[in-house]
Amino acid sequence: MSLITYREALAGSMRDALKTNPKSLVYGLCVTDHTGIFGTTLGLEKEFGPERVFDTPLSEDAMTGFAVGAALGGLYPIHIHIRNDFMMLAMNQLVNSAAKYKYMSGGSFQVPMMVRGVIGRSWGQGAQHSQSLQSLFAHIPGLTVIMPSSARRVKDGYAHAVNKYKSPVISLEHRLLYDYVFEPDDAAPLKDPFTSYLVQKGADVTIVATSIMVQESQRAARFLKETAGIGVEIIDLNCLTHPDVAMILKSVKKTGRLLVADTGWSSYGVCAEVCRMVAVSDPAALKAPVELISMAKTPCPTTHALEKHYYPDMGTIAAAVYRLVHGAKKHKLPLPTEEYKRKFYKSFKGPF
Amino acid sequence: MTPREKMFHDALRIRLVEERIIELYPSDKIQSPVHLSIGQEHHIVALCAALKKNDPIYGTYRSHAPYLAKGGDMKRMFCELYGKAGGNGRGKAGSMHLCDRDLSLMASSAVVASPFPHAVGAAYAAKLGKKNQIVVSISGDGSTEEGTFAECLNFVALKKLPVLFFIENNGLSIHTPIKARQSYALGKVCAAYGVEYWKAEDGFDMETVRAKVASTRKRMIAGSGAAVFEVMTCRYKVHVGVAEDGDLDYHDKDSDEKWRRRDPLILERELVTKFQPRIMKEIDEAVAFAEKDVFPGASELMKDIY
Repeated sequence: MSLITYREALAGSMRDALKTNPKSLVYGLCVTDHTGIFGTTLGLEKEFGPERVFDTPLSEDAMTGFAVGAALGGLYPIHIHIRNDFMMLAMNQLVNSAAKYKYMSGGSFQVPMMVRGVIGRSWGQGAQHSQSLQSLFAHIPGLTVIMPSSARRVKDGYAHAVNKYKSPVISLEHRLLYDYVFEPDDAAPLKDPFTSYLVQKGADVTIVATSIMVQESQRAARFLKETAGIGVEIIDLNCLTHPDVAMILKSVKKTGRLLVADTGWSSYGVCAEVCRMVAVSDPAALKAPVELISMAKTPCPTTHALEKHYYPDMGTIAAAVYRLVHGAKKHKLPLPTEEYKRKFYKSFKGPF
Repeated sequence: MTPREKMFHDALRIRLVEERIIELYPSDKIQSPVHLSIGQEHHIVALCAALKKNDPIYGTYRSHAPYLAKGGDMKRMFCELYGKAGGNGRGKAGSMHLCDRDLSLMASSAVVASPFPHAVGAAYAAKLGKKNQIVVSISGDGSTEEGTFAECLNFVALKKLPVLFFIENNGLSIHTPIKARQSYALGKVCAAYGVEYWKAEDGFDMETVRAKVASTRKRMIAGSGAAVFEVMTCRYKVHVGVAEDGDLDYHDKDSDEKWRRRDPLILERELVTKFQPRIMKEIDEAVAFAEKDVFPGASELMKDIY
């Protein structure tokens, strides 16, 4: 069986959306050009026609309101942004219209639609092209926010959004995941795809992670198992707005140690929110202070010399797990070497 | 009833409903900001008289007139204003987000200009689905100052969409006069995008507005693309609430007086006398219905979020 990349899963999901839901539209800047949203919409205009697959003017605000109106008119719009940073131009429509239409009409109307936004980290993308803005969206009742961490999460989540779900969905896709290779998995989904998933079991530490941090956590977990015999349990938060809180609490009760790993900033963000879940329900379950892995609280710098301090990696996670298990005291446990890390991190070749 | 009498009746119905709201407002039974249409009923009635039932309307917070003109149920409207369970939005809409799914009256927006692109998206769906609909957005003169208006003009022209942007120009954004806000002539802006523009100098002239909308609707169904109609009108009351606009400094009292002196709903006493009793009965019943209706239970709070 051939392996599948995240990018291929996205492309397949877009094609499936247009095939299985005749009401669906796929549109956005760069959707029909030769780049096709990093290769995820190539060929769709030709196959499904320019009325259902189209490029747009640079009008993020209106094109988002367009999605709301198209959804109210019976279509299923999928609006794509090559950077989620550009979605800031559409916040009025997302927050004031899409999120509230059903509620403020007493359920008279629904707004089934999806917005895909790419987190553009890589190769000097800097302050306005690499942000992870999930917390802004997840804060708003009425918006459903997902961050698929694998090809399977893409496949299940997008099929659910397009064919079953009736509310606006925002999906944030990490650019560095696009070339990751996954085992194909055609089994039917076990549950509602818009919740959290247990990625692997472990006895010592619970990691709750989002997006690419799920992959980073898996790398760190493998290293920690091999070198220090530490068992890490990983939960993929996956759907930020509808997490499986019971799953998280159960895991923390078992391990007593929690690490949250997110691609955004921790304050008022996913890290803070997962801490809230535990603090309000079972604070006594914690044997150690929670460890938070997130971006440094600063806009993202451009130069690689500073970027490497901005972004955490598997080594940052491993060090945090040691602190959870051994406290602040000195230990002689190894951290992954640069050579070890290079096995996992392919250097990104620009220009983007 | 002649077509003009029917429009007159519908405009009078809106005015009498809103006058009842003014009477009720001090009682605090209507705990919702109200943006009254008094003075601006005529052209809305004319617009709706030319539309079909399934032509969607995307309006703003000044919602009572389009709601009633399109045939919205008065009982459900008063329930909504009272915050009762029988309201169209089950108490979650209030005056600002009135809607009626069966009449294609979409939930009106309290954020100016937000409905422009909704109308554009709905028109795209109408065109793609060959629904023989046009889609109307109703908004005030201030809405054309928002960036999304330019984005929408561009897109409707690009895709030749059946959208009518119906602009009620009462010269005021809350309290700020148009001369302090706009550098442009709306018609020239539309011309730059190749979108038809038509101006009605007199919003009271219901027959002219109705006829123009009707012919434009026909043309749009045939595929000719969008249009912007600007209707000159006068807001008698404050932006929000029930006080008189003319009592305050920002209002041009002379202009206000000129409008009132020509207002058919004030002048045509014979028609008022003819229609008023039946409308008052309907209002009495609607208010009594809302008074008796129950408030939504606590379980309603967390419903219809997703």
